[in-house]
Amino acid sequence: MSTRTSAVLAALLLSPSLLAGCGGGGQIGDSGGSADAKKMVLIPGVAAEPFYTSMECGFREAAAAAGYEVDVQAPARFESTLQTPIVTGVLADKPGAVLIAPTDDKAMAGPMKQLKDAGIKVVEVDTKLQDTSVAVSSVSSDNEQGGRLAARTLAELVGGGTGSVLVLNTKAGTSTTDARAKGFEEEVGKYPNLKYVGQQYTDNEPDQAASKVTATLAANPDLIGVFATNLNTGEGAATGLRNAGRTGAVNLVGFDASPKQVEDLRSGVVQALIAQDPATIGRTGVEQAVAAIEGKPVNRDVETDLVALTKADMEANSKYFYKQRC
Amino acid sequence: MGEPLLEARDLVKTYGSVEALRGASFTAYAGEVVALIGDNGAGKSTLVKCLSGVEQPDSGSVLLDGEPVRLDSPTAARALGVETVYQDLAVAPDLDPAANLFLGRELRKPGPLGWFGVLDDKEMRRRAAESFRDLGVSLQSVDVPIGALSGGQRQSVAVARSVVWASRLVFMDEPTAALGVVQRERVLDVVRRVRDQGMAVVLISHNMPEVLAVSDRVEVLRLGRRVARFTTARTTVEELVGAMTGALSQEGA
Amino acid sequence: MTSLARRLASANTLWIGLVLLGLIAVFGALRPDAVLTVFTLQTTLVETSVLLVLSVGMTYVIITSGIDLSVGSVLVFSGVTSAMTMNALNGGDATGAGWGTVLVGLAVALLSGAAWGLLNGLLVARAGIPPLIVTLGSFGAALGAGQLLSDGSNVSGVPDVLGEGLGTGTWFGVPNLVLLAAAVTAVGALVLGTTRFGRHTYAIGSNEEAARRAGIGVTGHLVRVYLLAGVLAGLAGFMALAYFRVASVTGHDTDNLNAIAGVVLGGTSLFGGVGSVVGTVLGVFIPAVLRKGFVIVGVNVYWQPIAVALVLVAAVWFDQSRRKARNQR
Repeated sequence: MSTRTSAVLAALLLSPSLLAGCGGGGQIGDSGGSADAKKMVLIPGVAAEPFYTSMECGFREAAAAAGYEVDVQAPARFESTLQTPIVTGVLADKPGAVLIAPTDDKAMAGPMKQLKDAGIKVVEVDTKLQDTSVAVSSVSSDNEQGGRLAARTLAELVGGGTGSVLVLNTKAGTSTTDARAKGFEEEVGKYPNLKYVGQQYTDNEPDQAASKVTATLAANPDLIGVFATNLNTGEGAATGLRNAGRTGAVNLVGFDASPKQVEDLRSGVVQALIAQDPATIGRTGVEQAVAAIEGKPVNRDVETDLVALTKADMEANSKYFYKQRC
Repeated sequence: MGEPLLEARDLVKTYGSVEALRGASFTAYAGEVVALIGDNGAGKSTLVKCLSGVEQPDSGSVLLDGEPVRLDSPTAARALGVETVYQDLAVAPDLDPAANLFLGRELRKPGPLGWFGVLDDKEMRRRAAESFRDLGVSLQSVDVPIGALSGGQRQSVAVARSVVWASRLVFMDEPTAALGVVQRERVLDVVRRVRDQGMAVVLISHNMPEVLAVSDRVEVLRLGRRVARFTTARTTVEELVGAMTGALSQEGA
Repeated sequence: MTSLARRLASANTLWIGLVLLGLIAVFGALRPDAVLTVFTLQTTLVETSVLLVLSVGMTYVIITSGIDLSVGSVLVFSGVTSAMTMNALNGGDATGAGWGTVLVGLAVALLSGAAWGLLNGLLVARAGIPPLIVTLGSFGAALGAGQLLSDGSNVSGVPDVLGEGLGTGTWFGVPNLVLLAAAVTAVGALVLGTTRFGRHTYAIGSNEEAARRAGIGVTGHLVRVYLLAGVLAGLAGFMALAYFRVASVTGHDTDNLNAIAGVVLGGTSLFGGVGSVVGTVLGVFIPAVLRKGFVIVGVNVYWQPIAVALVLVAAVWFDQSRRKARNQR
């Protein structure tokens, strides 16, 4: 409650100053002393998550190489009420650019607009606002391409085999996992030996994912592959297959490559992982920010590729494993 | 009439600046129905609370069989054979009559099962049916939740519950309030039967005809004190009302 | 009639049982080859075991006319503490650990659950704060505490002996997880239906004041009921650990609502005083059978929550109109 209150207070305090700023040419950041254009701040969606930690690694590396001072400030939970005070705090510091993964596509628009109005270059990484006028660039994974890659990987794993394939989605209306499912569905149609039996929603609950997998197995004993669109569905699917005694016989393709998932890939619980490339997202974000600061042309939308990891090639691709620290 | 069963002497009870009892006395004998009457705020409820262990008086003494006793909880009063029927029933509507009768005093099965707290429902039903029969309470079924019974039957069960466990004295706070004529008669029948078994019944009531119909004696409270005592056979509604309003008072009551 | 048969017939348990049989019959008629199989029976039972254990505790709480929103979070917390303790005992990874470690893990899970249950009980019974508020608080706090301990990520390293023994092991073809849940449910049903503890639980939910006047230690009893719900949530956390082989910090957000829905579907009244564990078993399986059946039969995924909601609302409506009819006498 206190964070919510402080966020509201901050918004209340800031809005009149913003109005004043329009008339008098002043900005909030102005009072904090001179702008530090050679500084860059990353605001991930949540602290201590391997995906964002890996992004941070790429960010730190690229920014240091470009001669920028860096700072990383993450909210404790994936919540706009916790991220907003961080944004307003960074605003006072007035760095040259901010890379941010907005935790809400609408609620974060206000605070982020303040950054822009203070002359700070905003680059969206991983997630983005609905309002496309705030950021100079958005760098994110091409989730549809990830879904297509999952279908191709599954087809390779199956080889010449024939059977049904299932997609486990999270909640209806989740843009990222919907895009992954969509890409998968488009691509899997190209393989006549794979019979797509549709997607099932799981409310992002592992137990529901497990139940849907065993129910699909009961209805379609020829099930040969499952694409789990995120961590929880992957865990649930692995549990359901183990319960049915079909671990390994049914090819499970997961999404993301956090340490536990990599471990499951190694031990054969999961046959493939579609890994995002958070480090590249971080690096590309820095490139775009530098270009914006220096007044060079900027790519408004950058989509980074995803990679497929299988047990056979995983050690060669270990740079794609998400890191818990740099 | 011999030795009083229960006697309260000069009880004082104050709630903040309000003096609910200002030296109230009260007497009940075995084998009688004594009515406790008084206007609203006369201190009837407070007196009953002090005598049934719900509240403790600030000063004064309570004697049972001539011996001073301390009633510091309802459980202590119950252990001495003193039970109370509350005005607002206080039954569990979702439990059957037998379960209500034995609430808080459940019988356990003999042997190892009983050590685990397993209840002897059969025995409780049998004894409950017996008690209801003795008290003239007629129920179509002892298997239905009490909430499904009529108001009179529910009240009869509430009365029966106190009576069955009382060995000495029962307080009944307005037991017939909100009952119809037939149901009221049924409850008053139970009251008479209990008296005939040799217990003392203290009836708190606003209903003067009912008081005259069922009680043997009447004690009147006014402004936290006992102001009059009557033998029912030799009194009238006018006398009782006079004592309650202060128009009439007796020396040394 | 025996007490059990009477209770079955009198409550809406009988109707719920018929609804469940009807659902199985319909799905069975549509896809007999997929529905009426040992495989489907086994997996449905296993997948419902954890929720069933949560729901047994919830049944007691709701019969006292209380509610416990914290069970899912307590499950997460207990799973995290248990998994982390087992890892710590084995140098950070308990995958290869033995039964000694597993027993310590079980004890930690039960104690963690008990601690939250005790806290809930004391705040509800002693401090007199409404259970909805108390357990809404512990719902957030237990989840937060679990995430704090695990640094917000899932805890792996569950011993293989636990995963293979309790998680996927069977005994004469019956999954061990199901046996454990069945044992807990049977004890829960017997204690509620036949003992003094159970009788007092009903009495408090039916009329708390009457119970107090009858000399029942209402405060102590309520604390014990919430404690029971907490311990069972701890056990459920341990079972989930064996089943998923990971302590998941997300993905149990709606366990509390699923448990409440199962209990209420089973004829236990949110007003307290009425209910049974037998009903809860039926109530928990209705959504499970619906979900599974819809996937097998191939019904549009969006219909599923609608159907579950319809059955739930109908059950509560039936309960209320039954009470209204009775109170009008």
